Amino acid sequence: MNVHTKHSADAETAEESLAYQEAQAVNDSDSATAVAMQNTLLTPRFYTTDFDEMDALNVEPVRQDWDLLLDQMRSDPNRGHFKKNEDWDQIDWDGMEPELRKEFIDFLISSCTAEFSGCVLYKEMKRRGTNPDICELFKFMSRDEARHAGFINDALREAGISVNLGFLTRAKKYTYFKPKFIYYATYLSEKIGYARYITIYRHLEANPEYRFHPIFKWFREWCNDEFSHGEAFALLMKANPHLTRGGNVYWIKFFLTAVYSTMWIRDHQRPAFHQALGVDPAWYGQAVFEKTSEISRQIFPITLDIDHPKWQPLLNAMQDANADLDAARKRGGIVGRLKAGWASARAATAFARLMLIPAIPNEVPESVRLEPAY
Amino acid sequence: MGFFTKETEMAPCTVEVSHRFEELSAHVRLNNGAVIHPGDEVMVDGPPVMAPFGAVVREDRTATIIRASKLEQLWTRLTGDLEYMELCEFSFSEEVTL
Repeated sequence: MNVHTKHSADAETAEESLAYQEAQAVNDSDSATAVAMQNTLLTPRFYTTDFDEMDALNVEPVRQDWDLLLDQMRSDPNRGHFKKNEDWDQIDWDGMEPELRKEFIDFLISSCTAEFSGCVLYKEMKRRGTNPDICELFKFMSRDEARHAGFINDALREAGISVNLGFLTRAKKYTYFKPKFIYYATYLSEKIGYARYITIYRHLEANPEYRFHPIFKWFREWCNDEFSHGEAFALLMKANPHLTRGGNVYWIKFFLTAVYSTMWIRDHQRPAFHQALGVDPAWYGQAVFEKTSEISRQIFPITLDIDHPKWQPLLNAMQDANADLDAARKRGGIVGRLKAGWASARAATAFARLMLIPAIPNEVPESVRLEPAY
Repeated sequence: MGFFTKETEMAPCTVEVSHRFEELSAHVRLNNGAVIHPGDEVMVDGPPVMAPFGAVVREDRTATIIRASKLEQLWTRLTGDLEYMELCEFSFSEEVTL
């Protein structure tokens, strides 16, 4: 499966890269699938928030931990990590099983878009904010996300897919999120990202025969970046305890349930990817929930009862309803609409029932800081 | 800003696109201090700013800002949070089948 072909992604200088790119132009457009080509325009979302409220955040109660963490980010321990070395095996993309290829490209494009969106959002936050602690954090986060996006982009280029960054000349509408939603979502997203990557990394460490692409070898350092981003938000929430008290506990439960169930559904929609990795999506999902729940005990006053007998059956019910909803929408017509309505109702009911499973109360420790341990 | 009416303004801006192995990013900075509010639309004028692989391209352009009406701004503030899942990363797109 490993064939060495000269590609612009192998180039060391911009000139070399352009030369390869030109030579390969025809090849690239021939080999890239129609689906992939449609997806190449990166379309990050644009947000505003209450910048005054964000500027008012105070990290003094956790100053010592905060400074240590920011010092670590400033020293940029992963600067040299995202480089291709002899561990980067060449992949025969054309020889890849078509279903796997589609799903893997979806993985790369979605991951690249997510990193890229994070980079745009954090940079915007850094520009608009005036609180030096918060601005510095966003500066480092933006740097890391841009680096990850570049690394994934390179893997895409090897597959003959070039991303298009022309989105700035299209109209972009700015939506609005309350700062606290940004904290919960970013914290959770970074920690779940860590748990997802490290679970795959450890699985492939034990079962290297399933490693169908070299990018998985870089997952450990990659997810350590995600981990430390999450740490910063844990400290922010610790220093501003109203964010994890009172009515906000319900928001936290809602976020956890929404994020876990969405992850479950999306993973189950990509069977070829998981089969190629030798991973059962249900096992994987549960392994990620366990790690994320354990980590989130550092700051969230509750964890979800992921071992409750109704937990997995309700996640599966949401997954089934979502698949039926998609089939009904594709069918169209009055029958399609009726079926879609019924499927939506089933999904909403399953979600509501997940929310009704009592959460497990958690005593948040005095010191929140954690190191990646999985 | 009108309650129902949108207004359009122009702002000088700098676009920076980095299309390099070590950094993939694209940012636009408004150079006249214009501030974007919920519901506003921003569009950089002219053809797409493209950077070949390995390059950083920095260009001074003009951006068109379509200001949301007061009503739209309020509406975006009230309902923007409903799209919160956009903030989360799930490795895969939402497409049920590819």
